[in-house]
Amino acid sequence: MGGQKKIFLIFGLIAVLGLIVLPFFLEGYWIRVITSIFMYAIITAALNIIAGFAGYAAFGNIVFFGIGAYTTAMLMLRVGLYWWVGAIVGGVLASLYAILLGIPILRLRGHYFAIATLGINRATEQIALDWGSFTGGGKGITLPLPQMEINTFYAMIYFIMFGLLAFTVLVNYGIARSRLGYALRAIRENEGAAEASGIFAPRCKIVAWAISAFITGITGGVFAYWFSFIEPATVFDIMIAVKAFVMMMLGGAGTVLGPVLGAFLIELISETVWGKFLTIHMLILGIIMVAIVILMPRGIMEFFRKKFSLAAIWNNIKNQAV
Amino acid sequence: MSLLEGRNVTRAFGALKAVDAVDFQVREGEILGLIGPNGAGKTTLVNLVTGTYPLTEGEISFKGTPITGLKPAKVSRLGIARTFQIVQPFPGMSVRENVVVGALFGKSGTGRSTKEAFREADRWIDFVHLQDYRNAAVDQINISFRKRMDLAKALAMNPEVLMLDEVMAGLNTKDIEEMITLVKRINQELRISLLVIEHVMKAVMSVCHRVTVLHHGAKIADGSPQEVVRDPRVIEAYLGERYAKARKGSET
Repeated sequence: MGGQKKIFLIFGLIAVLGLIVLPFFLEGYWIRVITSIFMYAIITAALNIIAGFAGYAAFGNIVFFGIGAYTTAMLMLRVGLYWWVGAIVGGVLASLYAILLGIPILRLRGHYFAIATLGINRATEQIALDWGSFTGGGKGITLPLPQMEINTFYAMIYFIMFGLLAFTVLVNYGIARSRLGYALRAIRENEGAAEASGIFAPRCKIVAWAISAFITGITGGVFAYWFSFIEPATVFDIMIAVKAFVMMMLGGAGTVLGPVLGAFLIELISETVWGKFLTIHMLILGIIMVAIVILMPRGIMEFFRKKFSLAAIWNNIKNQAV
Repeated sequence: MSLLEGRNVTRAFGALKAVDAVDFQVREGEILGLIGPNGAGKTTLVNLVTGTYPLTEGEISFKGTPITGLKPAKVSRLGIARTFQIVQPFPGMSVRENVVVGALFGKSGTGRSTKEAFREADRWIDFVHLQDYRNAAVDQINISFRKRMDLAKALAMNPEVLMLDEVMAGLNTKDIEEMITLVKRINQELRISLLVIEHVMKAVMSVCHRVTVLHHGAKIADGSPQEVVRDPRVIEAYLGERYAKARKGSET
């Protein structure tokens, strides 16, 4: 185990250093691609806090992304604040939104909770659409353009997303080892027994969702600044959340690095392969999702913990068949 | 002094009174047995104490303070722990992680770091003799071990009152002997008061100081184990009216 941990650490360090120096060698397309991978990794790792640790399938988690994006846009345009102030306020607002809505809907479990979050996402998107005089409605809204050379700007966003990703991974790491982490896992495994053990389940779930929302909200703010144009259909896009779910499950739900690993894998596959299969892209996503559930329900990280073996995969297939 | 006390405790599910105007006390330092035929309302009574179900009528107090209406988590943190008739583990976690949850969130868990909590968990794993299965997954251990793990988790919560819901059920004779020893040690060495729901009469007779008997939700007897098993109402409840009458006839 110790040796494996060391290998993990060395590989991780090389990857991190590589990603730090990358913008000095690359520019344009690949920088944007990797920035967007970072963004997905952040969204997935944030989703992991509520869906991975606590086991609450927040399919509508992307609502916080939209709130962050619109808050940033509105504060820049209507108040004239810096983009980063907007992003942080966006994160805080998303967090408050999660607390307010979490109080009633985190009482729901399983599918009911998942459906409720989808409903919230749609309803919030509708507000952005209908309140056109303020939000720009369905036409979308253009943010003030950054006053700097375009490649410098992209490099800056790259590092911001990278920093935010590092922060999110640290938050996940901290939670995994904290009292909150044990409480959330206990809730995921058996909520009744968790409460009987002295865990205030509603409070823990709300805190988890608020943290998840905060990070997702800030990410939405950075996205708005990066793209300089947002519309409800893009920033409230349910497909972002669905993709984040696939990434989380592929990597390993409830693990610290799994969601990041999953995000990198899926996004790299999508860049290199799916680009050639534009029309059946959703089909492939679906196949991957089914394959994960059958072949490795606990994600790639499980294979690092145990030994990777074909026998394990075969066992999973047999168990599914029964 | 009674540590845990219920007065007129009543819980109705629709027209059915699962627990009907029951008075009970768990005195400090004692082991109270709670017996009765299946469906008598024993587990419901425990669920009323923990706050899993709200009371329809009556009041429950702990150390003189009413706890009626408190949420299960709150009740646990006051120092009332329980085990479940059907063991309720955290399946995706190891034995150690299961027990550490109790150590982190029970009565004295709030001030504990996770590292200290793991040390505490190990102590209770040793106490119930599960040290060889510390890192085993819950689905790798048998029912007897799971019951002991559940017990260790409850003990890690540092309770003053521990309610054991059929902790012997499904165990073989040897495991029952061990569990009886454990329950006695919990009472004598750890000075924890217990409420024990049990069908295994051997265990009831040997560990309980007092026994309360429920039948159809109502309390029908209360006394020392020896008194209670000779009580005609109890015999009737367990073995039926005809048997009780026949027995009476043969005695006279």
